[in-house]
Parts: sequence; C-alpha cells; structure tokens
Amino acid sequence: MSSSNIYQGSESFRVRLVLSILSGRPIRIVKIRTQDDNPGLHEYEAGFIRLLDKITNGTKVEVNETGTAIYFQPGLLVGGPIEHDCSCQRGIGYYLESVMQLAPFCKKPLKIVLRGVTNDQVDTSVDALKCVFFPILRRFVVDDEGLDMKINRRGAPPLGGGEVFFSCPVRKQLRPFQFLDPGLIKRIRGTAYAVQVSPAMANRMVESAKGLLLKVIPDVFITTDHRKGVGKKGSPGYGIVLIAETTKGAFLVAESSSNPINSGKPPSVPEDIGLEAANRLLQEIYRGGCVDSNCQSSTLLFMALYQKDVSKIMTGPLSPYTIKFLRTLRDFFGTQFKVETKQRSHEEEDLRTGCDKVILTCIGVGYTNLSKTVA
Amino acid sequence: MDEDIFDKKKQHRERHAGRKAEKKKGKNEHQQDLTAQQRNPKAFAINSVKKAQRQFHRAQDLKTKKQHIPLVDRTPVEPPPIVVAIVGPPKVGKSTLLRCLIKNFTRQNLSEINGPVTIVCGKKRRVTFIECNNDINSMIDIAKVADLCLLLVDASFGFEMEVFEFLNICQVHGFPRIMGVLTHLDYFKDNKQLKKRKKLLKHRFWTEVYQGAKLFYLSGMVHGEYQRTEVKNLGRFISVMKFRPLQWRTTHPYVFVDRLEDITPPQDLHLDQKCDRTVCFYGFVRGVNFKNHCGVHIPGCGDLRVRDMAFLPDPCPLPEKLKKRSLVDKEKLIYAPMSGVGGIVYDKDAVYIDLGGSHSHKDQKLDKGEDENEMVTSMGDLQAGVDEKIAQSQVQIFTDSAPITSVDAESFKLPSVNVVVDSTGRQRRKAVFSTADEQVMIDEEEEDDSEDLDEEDLDETEAEDSKNTASMVQNESLIFDESEEEDERRSIKKAVRKSDKKISPTKKLRSKLADVLDENESEVEENFDSDAEYDLRDVSDRDDDGSEEEPMRKKAKVVSRRTVQTGNDELRKKLKEVIESVESKLGNQVKKKNRKVSANGLEDLENSVGEYDSDIMTGKLDKEDDESDEEEELSADEEKASDEEEEASDEEEEESGLQWKTNIAQKAAEAFYERQAVGANLRKLIYGSTEQTRNETQGEEEEEIGGLFKIASRATLKANLVTMDEFDCTKWSNAPIQDFTAESVLESVRDCFVTGNWKESENAEELLRMDDDSDFDMEGDFEDLETGEIHKVSDKDQKAISDQEDSDPINKKTSTGPVDEEAERQKLIEKKMKLKERFDAEYDETEGGGQKSFYEELKQEVDAQANMNKSEFEGLDDEIRVQYEGFRPGMYVRIEISHVPCELVSNFDPTYPLIVGALLPGEENIGYVQVRLKKHRWHKRILKTRDPLTVSMGWRRFQTLPLYSIQDHNMRNRSLKYTPEHLHCMATFWGPITPQGTGMLAIQSMNSSEPGFRISATGSVVDQDKSTQIMKKLKLVGTPFKIYRKTAFIEGMFSSSLEVAKFEGASIKTVSGIRGQIKKAVRKPEGSFRATFEDKIVLSDIVFVRTWFRVDVPRFYTAVTSLLLPASEKNKWQGVKTVGQLKRERSVRAEVNTDHLYLPVLREEKVFAPLVVPRSLQRQLPYDYKPKAEVAAPLPGSKRDIEGKRVAVVLEPKERKVLGLMKILKTRYTERQDKLHKEAVQRIKEHRKKVEASEEQKLKRQRELKQKVSRVLSKMEAKKERDFGKIRKKKR
Repeated sequence: MSSSNIYQGSESFRVRLVLSILSGRPIRIVKIRTQDDNPGLHEYEAGFIRLLDKITNGTKVEVNETGTAIYFQPGLLVGGPIEHDCSCQRGIGYYLESVMQLAPFCKKPLKIVLRGVTNDQVDTSVDALKCVFFPILRRFVVDDEGLDMKINRRGAPPLGGGEVFFSCPVRKQLRPFQFLDPGLIKRIRGTAYAVQVSPAMANRMVESAKGLLLKVIPDVFITTDHRKGVGKKGSPGYGIVLIAETTKGAFLVAESSSNPINSGKPPSVPEDIGLEAANRLLQEIYRGGCVDSNCQSSTLLFMALYQKDVSKIMTGPLSPYTIKFLRTLRDFFGTQFKVETKQRSHEEEDLRTGCDKVILTCIGVGYTNLSKTVA
Repeated sequence: MDEDIFDKKKQHRERHAGRKAEKKKGKNEHQQDLTAQQRNPKAFAINSVKKAQRQFHRAQDLKTKKQHIPLVDRTPVEPPPIVVAIVGPPKVGKSTLLRCLIKNFTRQNLSEINGPVTIVCGKKRRVTFIECNNDINSMIDIAKVADLCLLLVDASFGFEMEVFEFLNICQVHGFPRIMGVLTHLDYFKDNKQLKKRKKLLKHRFWTEVYQGAKLFYLSGMVHGEYQRTEVKNLGRFISVMKFRPLQWRTTHPYVFVDRLEDITPPQDLHLDQKCDRTVCFYGFVRGVNFKNHCGVHIPGCGDLRVRDMAFLPDPCPLPEKLKKRSLVDKEKLIYAPMSGVGGIVYDKDAVYIDLGGSHSHKDQKLDKGEDENEMVTSMGDLQAGVDEKIAQSQVQIFTDSAPITSVDAESFKLPSVNVVVDSTGRQRRKAVFSTADEQVMIDEEEEDDSEDLDEEDLDETEAEDSKNTASMVQNESLIFDESEEEDERRSIKKAVRKSDKKISPTKKLRSKLADVLDENESEVEENFDSDAEYDLRDVSDRDDDGSEEEPMRKKAKVVSRRTVQTGNDELRKKLKEVIESVESKLGNQVKKKNRKVSANGLEDLENSVGEYDSDIMTGKLDKEDDESDEEEELSADEEKASDEEEEASDEEEEESGLQWKTNIAQKAAEAFYERQAVGANLRKLIYGSTEQTRNETQGEEEEEIGGLFKIASRATLKANLVTMDEFDCTKWSNAPIQDFTAESVLESVRDCFVTGNWKESENAEELLRMDDDSDFDMEGDFEDLETGEIHKVSDKDQKAISDQEDSDPINKKTSTGPVDEEAERQKLIEKKMKLKERFDAEYDETEGGGQKSFYEELKQEVDAQANMNKSEFEGLDDEIRVQYEGFRPGMYVRIEISHVPCELVSNFDPTYPLIVGALLPGEENIGYVQVRLKKHRWHKRILKTRDPLTVSMGWRRFQTLPLYSIQDHNMRNRSLKYTPEHLHCMATFWGPITPQGTGMLAIQSMNSSEPGFRISATGSVVDQDKSTQIMKKLKLVGTPFKIYRKTAFIEGMFSSSLEVAKFEGASIKTVSGIRGQIKKAVRKPEGSFRATFEDKIVLSDIVFVRTWFRVDVPRFYTAVTSLLLPASEKNKWQGVKTVGQLKRERSVRAEVNTDHLYLPVLREEKVFAPLVVPRSLQRQLPYDYKPKAEVAAPLPGSKRDIEGKRVAVVLEPKERKVLGLMKILKTRYTERQDKLHKEAVQRIKEHRKKVEASEEQKLKRQRELKQKVSRVLSKMEAKKERDFGKIRKKKR
C-alpha cells in the first residue's frame, strides 16, 4: 500500500526499524555488510528484529539467505508483558533504547524483562538510561504512573547474565516539549559497580573519580554497588556511571567500564576507569545542553512525534548518531528541524560554559498512538 | 381673627442642653454603615454543614461546567477562503442561488459555473462557493471539507430525503455550520398557509440541526433571480459567520482542488493513451500544515503520494490596505479557473492569461478526420505549459541506460512573454520562464550566449526529424546533465580565479580549493569551451527550429529577447555579488546575498554556490592560518565528523607546529565543536549532505548514462560502503575527549556548576545589590503588575507626581513639576497605595489567592504554545519555512502527483468536488478496524454480517465486508449474524487505519433511485489491530455408545483422536444436565473418547461440549472510485454486490433446508392402548368397578335391531282418526287400569291391616294364656320345692 523506503548498509539499523514501525512504512535494507568478512546481519541485529516482532503484531520480516538484505513490514505496537534474551554481543542498552522509544505508543502498557549484558564499553548502560532518559520520558508522558525500571541483576560481557525490568504506560499522544535552559549543575551522583570482583575495585574507582570532580563541585556522592553470587553464568567486570544533575532537572551522564575478560585487552586499572569516567562527564558537561548526547536522538524523536505544535530544545553539539538520525527522521516523517547555534547574550559572554550550544526546533508530525484502544 | 389666635399653637422648641437633649443626641449618633452580613450575621452563618457543602458543590459544578478543555489555536494568520457548499435536492434552486450570491459579491454575472468559485467578499474574508450535485458521493466529500453548508429546501415540497441524508453525513464528519434556505415560497398564495408552512419547516429543521439554527427564506424570483435584498442579507451572514475548529480538520491538512492539469509527457501519452498520468492539483491548503511528499488520499480515486509541492502567489488575494470601510470594485476578485474566469492563472513557472471563457479541460475528442494531425492537435490540447513538459521529457541514449531529463538542469526562471496565436486567431499571452542554469556559468564577456534551454529541449523532443540535430542535442544535454555539480565547480572556479586576480589568498587555501574542484577540471574546461560553441550553434539552431515549428503548430511564437537579457543582467549581478563576497571573505554577507538570490527563486544557485562558498568561508574564518587548511578539508567533506577528526589530528601531528602541539586534543575538540557551531553549516551538515548522498544513491543510474564519463571513482564507492555499514551505537564514543585534569581545561566548564559564576540576572548577590540600590532611591515605588509599568515616587527634587494615567516611567523621571506642598504629595501617595491595594486584592481574587488553578495554568500553557507556533518561524523566508513546517494553511499550492489513473483526467467533471486530503503517518496502512456502530433508525432493514458495506471514514470512501459482534461481560467479542435493531454493536472490518474516535458512516447502496433512507449505519472508530478475536459459539454433539457406572464412551463428537487430544479436559454436559469431562481418546471408533460424568448417564442421552470458534474477518477493502467513472455514470459506482442482490438478479433461490422452515405445528391425538384388567384382579373388584361386558350389537332381526331401524310413518287422515281414537281408548284404558290398581292396593292395605289386627289379638290372647299357664306351673314348682324342703328337714 504505502511506498517503502530503501536503504543500504547496516548503519542506523535500529533507527530505521523503529521509525518504520512508528510511521507504518515498510522498509527494505539491502547491501548489509556485503564487503565485510562477516557479511549480513549480525546476531544482535537478528535478536533486535525478534524483539520488535514480540512488541508488535502483524510484523513481516523477510531476510535473504545471506542476511544481506531484509524487508521489514511493520505491524502495530501491542506491548504487554514480554521477556527477551538479548544477545551478549551488545549491551541491553542497545535494545532498551529502542524499546523506550516505542513503549509509549503500544496498545497495552509495556512490561518487558530483558536479559543480557547490562554494562559494557560499547553501549549506553542501563544505569545511564535510567538516570538520563527516564527524566526525559517522564516529561513526555505527562503522568509517570507505571513508568518504572529495575536492574534486577548485573551482567558484564562476554557472558552477561544481567536482567532489567522496564515498564511504561501508554499514551494517546505526548506532551509538547520546550526545554531551553538547563540550569547549572548542582550535584553529581554516581554508581560504581563491581560484579564478581573484589568490592575494593568499586571503592578505588570512586576515589579516583571524586579526586577530579571535587575540584569543581563539592556535592559529589557515588554509591558502590557490589553484587556477588549472581551465579556461575556471569563474567567479572566493574565500572562506574556518573550523573550530573542541574538545577532545572537536566541530567548528563558519563560512564566507563573495565575491559571484558578474554577480549585480548590487558586488564583495566580501576583508578584509570574512575578518572576516565570523570573526564568523560566533564566532557559531557563541556558539551552541555538540556539532554545528554546519548539521548539526543530519542528526545528529538519524541519532539517530532507530537501534534502539529512547536517543540524546542537546547542541546550540546549534535553527535554523529543524532545527525544520521535526523536524516532518517526526515526520510520517514518529512520533519526537518530548525537548527541554530545559541547566541550568547552579553551577560553570558564571559561565562565559561563549554562549547556553543545548539537550539533545535521542530513542528510535530501530528502523530497519535494509533494502536491504543479508546473506551 | 380670634380663631386664628386660638389655633396658633406654640411652636416646639428643641432642647439644646440638658438630659433630654443628650438623650436625643445619643439616639441620632451616626452609626457606621454596616453590610447586611454585619448587621445580621446570623442570617449568613452556616447553619447546616450539609447545606453549605451542597451550595459550594453546586457553585463549583456550575463553574466547571463552563470550562472546556483548552485546545491549541492553530488558525492561520491569513486563513484560506472558507468553503461554502450549496446543498440540496435537484430542482431546488441551487445554481440560481449560487449565481445570485456571486453576483451579489462581485457584480459579475457568470455565464457558466463549473467547480469551485473563489471570491474576495470582505476585507478579511474570502469564500469558495461550491455547488453540490445530487450524488451521495459528492455529498459525503462536500461534508468533509465545507465550512458552511447552505441547505436548500423546496418549501412547496418540504424536506426531501437528501436533506436528511446530508445532515446525517455532516453529523458523522464533524458537523460544519449549517444554514437552511427555503426556496419556492412564491408557490404559496395564501399568506396564512405560508406562515404555517414556514413554522413547520423551521421546527423540523431545528430539531435536526440545533434549536435556533438560522433559516433563510427566499420568497420569490424576479427575472430568474432571487430578490436582491434577500440575497444580500444571506451574503452578509456568510461573510460574518464564525467557525469552530473541527477535530479531523485541525489534524489533517487538505486541499480543495479548484484546478488540475495533466502534465504527463506527451510521448508517454502518444505511446499509451491510458498510461498513468502525472497531474498537478491546485488549491488552497486548509486545515493544518501540509507536508511535502506525504501520502494523500483523493476521495473517489485512491491513495497516492505527493511527488512535489510548491506554493504559488495567491490568485485571489485579500486587499492589502485595510483603510477603507468597504471593498473597491477592483478588489472584489473572483477566481474560478474551471468556470473560465479569473483572468490570470499562475503556475509554478508560467503565467497563463485567460482571455476567453474556455480555459482548458475540453473533452479530448478527436475527430477521426484529423488523424494525420493527431500530434499537432494533441499539442493544442495540452494542459501543461510547454516548458513543464520539457522539464518532464526524457531522452534515452542507449536501450539499457536510464533516461535523461532536463529538469536537473533547470533551476530558476524569469518570465518572458510568449504571445501565442492559435489557429482561430485568438491571442494568448503566455509568460514563459527561461532556465538559468547555463546563465550561471555564462561569463560576463559572453553576453550574447544566453540561450534558452527550453527551446533546446523542445528541439530535443522533436529531434526525431533529423538525426544530426538529435545527436547534437543529446550530447549537449549530456553535458548539461552532467549536472549542477560541474556548473557549481565552474562557478566556484571562476570565483577563485577572480579572487586570484584581485587578492592573493593563502596558497594553501587555493591548493585545497583546487583539490576540491580538481578532479574533472580538464573535463570541465573542455566542456566549458564546447558549451560556448554549442551555445552559439544553438542560438542559430533554435531560430531555425522555431521557424520550422511555427507552421507545424500553427502558432506564432515570439521570444522577447529583452526580458531574457534583463534576466541575464540580474543574474550577472548576483554572480558578481557572490564573487565579491568570496573575495572579501565575509561569510555572513554571502549568506545574506544568497538568501536574496534564493528569494528570487534561485534556490539551486544558493545550494551550489552557497555550499562551496561557505566551505571556503569556514576556512577563512578560522583564527589561525595554520589550521585553516585542515579545517577546510574537514568542512569540505562535511560528512563524517569523527573520522575527519582523527585525520585532522594526524595531520596536525605530522606538521611541525610547536606551539599548538601541547593541546592537540583540546584544540581539535574545540575546533570540532566550533565547526558545528557555525549556524548555517549546521543545517547543511545535517540535511544538506543527505541530498548529496541521495544523489549518490541515484548515482548508479547516472553512472550508467555516463558510460562515457565515469563519475564515481572506486575509492568513493568504498568510502560509501564503510559509512553504509557504520557501527550502530548511540554513544559518542569516538568524540575527542579533553583532559580535564589540566587546570586550564577544567576552567572552560567552571561556570556550568552552581559553584561557578552565575548570569547577572540570576546571581543572587547581584540581585540583592540591585535591590539595595533601588531601595535606596526608590522608596515607595511599586510595579503595576497588570500593565507592567513601574510606578515610581519621584525623588525629593522631583516632587510632582503625575497621575495614574501618565505613569510612563520615562515621563516620570523627566517630569519635574513645581514644588508645592508636602501634604499634597502625601495625599497622592496615599491614593496610589490605595489603588495598588485594590489592584492587588483584585489580582489575588482572580488568580485564586495567588495560586493559579489547574485550568488556568493549562489555558496559559496552551496559549503560550499557540503563540509559539505562530511566532517561531515568522521571520523566515517562505522557501525555507515550508521545509520546516510544511505548507501553511492559506497558501495556494500546486501539488504534483504521479501515477494518477488516467480516468481521473479523462473523465474529469468539475461539478464533482475534488479533494486532496493528506494522511498522517501510519494512516496509509491497512488493518482490522473496529468501530462502534449503530444501525440508523431510519434505515429499513438490519444489516447482515459479511454483507458488503460502503464506508466513509476519514477522507476515504471504501467498500468492505464488516463482521458484527458484541462484547460479552467477560470481554469476549461474540459474533453476531445481524446488527441489533436499536443497540450499538461492534463492527470489525479490513480497512485503512484511522485515528480512534473518527466518525464513520455506512451505506449499503448509493443508488439514488432506491427509495428510503440510504445511510444504513453510523459509528466511530474504537480500535485497530492486525488480528482479530471475534468468537462464535460452537456446540459439538456426540452420543454415548458404552456406559459404565460413571464413565461413558462417546462417539460422533470429533472426527479424529487428534481433535480429541485438543479438547482433553474440556467440560461436557448431557441434555439432562449431567456434567462431565473429556478424558482421553480411544482408538476405535475414530474420534471417540472416554468421559466421566458426575452421575450415570443413559444410552439415549446426547452429550455436547460448548466451545468458541474464532471467526475470520474477510480481508476485503476497495476504495470507491466514483471519480474515475465517465460523467454519466459517476453516481452509479458499483462495488461488490450482496449475495442477496446477486440472487435476486439471477433469480437464484437458495436450497432450503426443510429443517429450517417454520411450519404450523401439528400435534396428533395420542391413542392409548385399551386398559386390560387381569382376570384374577377382576374377580376381586366390587361389581361396580368390574369391567362390564360390552352391550353386544343387536342381532339382525331382533327386536332391538328392528326398533333401531324404525321408520317414521305418515298416516292417512282416517288412519289418524283411528289412531287418535285408539289412543284415547288406550289412555282411558290405562287410566282405568291405574285407578283399579290403586284401589286394589288400597284394599290390600286395608285388608292387611285387618289381618294384622286380628293377628295381634290372637297373639295377645296366646301370651296371656301362656302367662297363666306358666304362673300355675311356677306355683306348682314352688310348692314342690317347699315340700321337698320340708322333707329334708324332716330327714334331718
């Protein structure tokens, strides 16, 4: 019925599928890693498709023999209670990000249990998502009853064994969003976790991270989360997640974690990891904005999926992922964001607030949740 | 006199002192005015808590009742014309009214009205009139777009079904404003009857619409027109009517098409008359913002996708000045392209001046005689501008290569006038826009080389004539087609050259630029030269061809050179500016100028030149010269930020700058962010480059065309592949990270924390200080919160205080009045304080004691949103603005849609409304739609499940097969065979996904000839899904064949043991109500099973299991394509017929299962077997109960038999006499006998008495005798006894 978009390659794979579901337009992706040594879809991508199939009803997926081309015809989002074992090649964050983007538009409230790697070096960890994306989601869904996320178990790569529970209420439509002033950072919080290693590791990370952060703000509090006896399945690992909270309720996050065992890399030093995370947090603060660089794309998506009203947000410089996301968004919904650099007013001129900020403005596409049942 | 004296009384003298005076004084002492509440507090006290609560509750209820959910006001600043539809049954005066209204507004008489007519009818109001014909499809479409409906009713006849149908359609699709108009009132001669009729109709109308709905009376015709005053009145009402937003229309953009043009390339038409067409639709955008390239639905045609959209100058603009009170005649514009008025027609790139009444849309009827001239005539009939067609035209060089279009080459056009004289001698002046691409590259020296691409490509289309020219043209077009890129390069190169001459930029810059442009330089150079050659040749060619064409087309065509030249001049100027700006290295300037250029429609120029310019600029803008080159390279690539970053740092390392090496990472990061920060770049970084990549993806074709010219190198392809399969991760992991352990770096974020410096406006210290300052010199000042004015008490030297009115702070400061008295000042201050207090009190009251209510907050939020929507993109250029927000309502647009069925164009009828309704994301899909539906109470028959139904929902009209169901209490959807009579039910059908809450309307047959009400059901969408759960009850019946105590084996319920396995554990029941459970399948007979019951069942029992069976909803959906039908059949669209219809048509009768027939119940009398009592029992019974022997039939000849056979005898008179006598005798005889008998009886009685008496005597005597005897005897005995005793005594 509706014309399908054709894409090439595996880049922004998730975004394409998520947008396909939201817009209801089928897509065809060809030439997936055709030149690669390991051609076609990877296991984690196949798992992602399976997850989408669980969330939706009536989705049709055709994959060719080599896995280098897929045709995806989206169904309607249903939600409900779902369990999914994620591939351990990627973190749960990889899946959870997309799930969170789809969750408010299901027919029934989504209650999902994801199992796999909770924290790794590649993907946004579940802690970070909980700390940063949650406040944003809460702003969009009006009433946050039923919005919940629990980290039941932690799992580090390569074996995983972590478990996350996420539930989200459904909405007919989201709330318009204007967020232009992030305020000033009033405190820094964080979690240092250690799985199947000595709890001293966590403390050492905290020490080194604090060493740097206390230079800028006295209110730094990092909890340690040491879990033992997860079971024989999991792998050892440790890491730290740092969150900066501002006076206006914006959150910035940075994280760092140890090298996974058997990855060929030398074992990491906890002090280095703590310092790296602190450094990354400061870098994130340097970029600034009302949303974290990880959440830019999701926030922009929710802004676009509103009634035909103006939404506005200030962010730090756009990440390459966000830029690609914006292009894909235009392909599916025809939405273009007005992007402008924030002009510094004269009173801000001599403030040392990192790099220039970007203001993004868009008009929603008039999206409503088509799968929700009305009484 | 005396009397007077006596009458005069002593005057009363009031006491002024003393007790009495004091008393009186005390009495009259002034009491303070008290309010009623103060005077009588008891009356206002809360006596009953309950009552008080109720009162409060009621007050709150009333308050909340007035509140509505605040909605964001999305009405545009300059709204589109309102759509006024004139609706009514045929022959009621619609056309006459329309003509009268148009005449009323414009003072023009339209001879022929076809399609919508747009009129400027007031200073701020435009109206589009449309007459709705008597077709239910039209009525539905009209109801979806009309803002106001004039419902015409023939008063002499009364309401007709169409009126009610239309009202019901309106109700479902959001109820536009409706005004009734009664016509044919002159039919009533009798005034009283007329009055009665009016009243009757009015009340009926009110019940249908709403109480007090406006109803107009058109009392009669004068010279075939309605009376002027009445029409004027109606017009006035139309022009001041207010509208409320309707849900569907405030979420869905749409265009009510007032013109369409077929722009299919003529070659395609030539090959196949019935090929899919490319059509341009024109009209005002209504509703909300219309996004380009979105999916649309054309009711009556189908789902399509917008290929392109462009806005055009308003053909019917509102007057600019609003000074005068009313409109001047000049401003009373009328625009009715399909009716052939309106003069100038603007297209995207051409202006058509219409001189006659026949603009276009003649039927394409070709006379057979004109066959030899078919091409020529078809050209005469073209509905699109020649230039457009050229833009669409394609040339294929090789069989397997992709066709080339000239569109790519075109970028902008400036008008020139083309006077075309057709065969009839009529002059048509057409403004043609020339292309400008070449002009971009034309150097200043080559003035004469301005050529017209149009003309060339026109040649191209007709190139078949001579191979020579054809090949040449192809070559040329190839060169042009080689695309903008090269043009751009050229222009840039020129720019660079220029700058070379005038100033010498750093060598690095130049070399980088050269790198960028380098690759095809030599080629470009060649092309450039050859271009010039071709240009020259073409000019001559063009002239020749032009002269050839003229006789062929029978049209004169003159190109006015001057305009073209002026166009060139302008272009050149622009180009100069661009170059200059490059020279002066001022990026902003260039951007501005570019914008100017683009404002003139030179978008491509901007894109091409601007892009490269800005690239150069970013290089220039960098502070450090050393860095500039890599920056340039980076910005030139502009695609992969991160990769570049690495590159950049690498390069930097290679170079041997010493100072900056210390902080490479930081600088790289800063530079990276800075690059993003350049505002204009940012947009291009995001969206601009995609256009490149898009081109690249399309590039494959281009490569193939360019078999000769290989554009894409292997390396770029590989790079493409790398980006194609880039790692999918949200984390910005490869971004440069600065080392914040260094104090200097850490300083850069110091003020992001609360511990750092604050903004002045937020800094508490600063604020406090400011407060102190103000307190110091502004004692007693206050701010009027309502007006935002600051009321100040002037300083001691500024003694005079102006009044409340002129409280302007500036005035305040400057006003230095005479210094009068301290008292006066005090008084004024007091007065002001009082005012302030009052204001504060009021303010607090309205805002709920400082706290705003939820409702007020919500309202404010919504208002703020509405303001933001209006103001956000206000200053922007329309070209850019439409990209951000889409086409605003009120814009006049041209929508180009390809793959339109040819019938839409060939069977086009302007009297049928044509709507292009946009679909929101997701609405193009198909799924199971569930609606809550109720059969219309006026529809005669109930609806059968799975019978085809035509549904109007959203923009669409379609036919589908609904399945009716009703929800049980356990939320199960139980399927129904028919819709309930007066009850809502659910209908599920396969159809387009439409937002929940959208109204739907169902029609069974659209045939207007059918009597009765055509709307069969109405409802609203509840849910949609990709699967359904509608269940049907199913009873499976079986019989026991073997019964043990509580176990039974049952057969006949299932056909295989597999089926049984599925139902294991299911509860079963016998008819007599014994419950049981299915246990397990047994092997033989197949499908039988063992079951247990709560009690023993009998062999004759029937066992059944109750199950639910999922019913499939048929997947049938077809759009009603009524617009594609030929004019005469437009209202006769026929979809799928119902089974009933088919059977009726073919007189097929269904095989009747006689079991299903209802027959009169016949009950046979029960015949019981005779009761037989056993003989032994019989014997014991009393006689009465003993069965008696039947009286046997009389023997033949017996007395009974004869008596039974007696016959009536008729006697002769004599015989009768004899018989009578005999009777008398007999009677006498019997009488006598009786008497004798009685006497005898009496006698006997008496005799018996006598006998008895004598007997008595006898007995008496005998007794006495006996007594005597026995006395004697006993005496004797006693004597004897005594004697004996004596003896014994004696003996003793």
